[in-house]
Amino acid sequence: MNTVLIVQSLISGIMMGAVYALLGIGFSLTWGVMKVINIAHATFGLVGAFIAYFLLNRWGVDPIVSLVITVPFLFVAGCVIYRLLIVPIRRSKEIIVSSMILTFGVAIVLENLLLLLWGPEPRLLTTSYTTKVIVIGPFYFQYPWVAGFLMAVAGVAIVHLFLMKTYTGKAVRAAWQQPEASQLYGVNLKRISMIAFGLAVSSAGAGGVGLAMLYSFEPHSHNLWLIYVFLVVIVGGVGNILGTAAAGVIIGIITGLSLALLPYQWVNLLTFGLLMIILVVRPQGLFRSEV
Amino acid sequence: MNMERESAAKLVRTIIVLLVVGALAAFPFLAPPIYFISFGFMILMYVTLATSWSIIGGYAGYLSFGHVAFLGIGAYTTALITNHFGLHALGTIGTVLPAGLVAAGIAVVVGYPCLRLRGPYFAVITLCFAFVVHLAVKNLSFMGGSDGLWIPSMKVPIEWNRLIFYELMLILVVATTAASAYIGGSKFGAGLRAIKEDEEVAQTMAVNAPALKSLAFALSAFFVGVAGGLYGYYLEYFHPDTVFDVNISILIVLMALFGGGGSWLGPVVGATILSLVNEGLSTFVNAELARIIYGSLFIVVIIFMPNGIMEFFKKRPKTVGENLPST
Repeated sequence: MNTVLIVQSLISGIMMGAVYALLGIGFSLTWGVMKVINIAHATFGLVGAFIAYFLLNRWGVDPIVSLVITVPFLFVAGCVIYRLLIVPIRRSKEIIVSSMILTFGVAIVLENLLLLLWGPEPRLLTTSYTTKVIVIGPFYFQYPWVAGFLMAVAGVAIVHLFLMKTYTGKAVRAAWQQPEASQLYGVNLKRISMIAFGLAVSSAGAGGVGLAMLYSFEPHSHNLWLIYVFLVVIVGGVGNILGTAAAGVIIGIITGLSLALLPYQWVNLLTFGLLMIILVVRPQGLFRSEV
Repeated sequence: MNMERESAAKLVRTIIVLLVVGALAAFPFLAPPIYFISFGFMILMYVTLATSWSIIGGYAGYLSFGHVAFLGIGAYTTALITNHFGLHALGTIGTVLPAGLVAAGIAVVVGYPCLRLRGPYFAVITLCFAFVVHLAVKNLSFMGGSDGLWIPSMKVPIEWNRLIFYELMLILVVATTAASAYIGGSKFGAGLRAIKEDEEVAQTMAVNAPALKSLAFALSAFFVGVAGGLYGYYLEYFHPDTVFDVNISILIVLMALFGGGGSWLGPVVGATILSLVNEGLSTFVNAELARIIYGSLFIVVIIFMPNGIMEFFKKRPKTVGENLPST
């Protein structure tokens, strides 16, 4: 087997996995903090991708620059959705189930709004540097992949530092570990949950823009994205941000290698089979929980 | 007095159920357009799927997102047996029983590791199971691969064909619903409810949780497998993407929860309403708008009727303060 090809696939896989990790951390956060499984999470990523697409084609805004608009917009959207839709079911006995069905509805609504606005054709973020490559020895790196990868690393680092260093971030973690006790220490659970939800949705938007730099996307893409989100979050351990990042890299390596070595139709089979095995053997994730 | 009233109520309920089943059975003989019989078949199939899903998902609270796998397994079993032995119509209909048994057998094997997981983990692993089966069948050549499979059609006029399938599915609906209602009232059902409430406590109260869950999962898969066999024969030609479509899996869950997962009637009502809404919307408005309304429906139902529509209408008089017992 061609070694260069394998190494090339490995690197591409790691880049892809990092972007999926950025898409996944918010999902992990809402699942951990408020027991909300947001099926619409990847759909918000897709909304981010379409906003970037719109800004790029209308005003030529670079996708990375467009994050200045996408991220705050989705943060506010996340807060509003939290207030309108999640608060009413917050005290539901089976919040995990309720939230899954509710956000499934949100995903359908968003997907079809995107279909109405942009139609079902696959889109590509075509920038001035889309076709440019960096060549190092026998390996080549496409510019958008490098940009998406760096953005993902920065995004995961920012969310991690926010949770570790800032007062609000610490409050989020406190609310996660001890919801009742944290309130005694002055954590406003409702407000903190809202911020966490907004953060999750906006990080999904950033992840979506990152994925859009790697692959083409259309209004149905979020289904496949969501499966990868589940994969990185479960492998990394729910609520474990760095675990999710590591899981992204691991899954990237596996996908990259199987893409290089296996016929294409067996790749997904391997991915799902692997997720099943990990779930049975280590449902708490591969890594020690962080909190 | 109380017992008399209860038995009278039971009699009334039995009569209503018999009347409904009788009316449903008579419907295709009124010679309605074929479209309505086919549509009726699909509604009945979804009622079967949602009701049998509810045995594990509703009573025990284990949300399987992989039930479409059993539907597909049923369809494939029927097709493979029929084609291998060159069976005729009656024989083919007979194969739906082995189809159900194969589905149940696979459910036992897959359920053994999977049923140890709870909540969203169980949901995800069953979803993966559905994907794995779908992709495997698609890539295995003796299963027809991505070409799909044929079942030779019945040598009868199309009206009769549709009528026969409709009536067969109605029989399956009655059997599934009866099984579900029976389980709901039995000790088995009580054990499943205890597992849903709190599995640890149930275990200490001498409920053999692993055995009960396994049995419930297998029973649930059995009826779905039989439905799959009938569906495969009904389709005559099918492709892995049709009978392993994950959207069916998700739809089954939504139908059952929409109606209310805790009773036998909930999934029946949920499946019927959602099938009608789906069909009505796709007839009268454009596809995207239909889906938006459809999606909003889930949001509204979860916020205003978190325990399903059946619970919503049951509880209502009490919360308003009417119909309070005078004693």
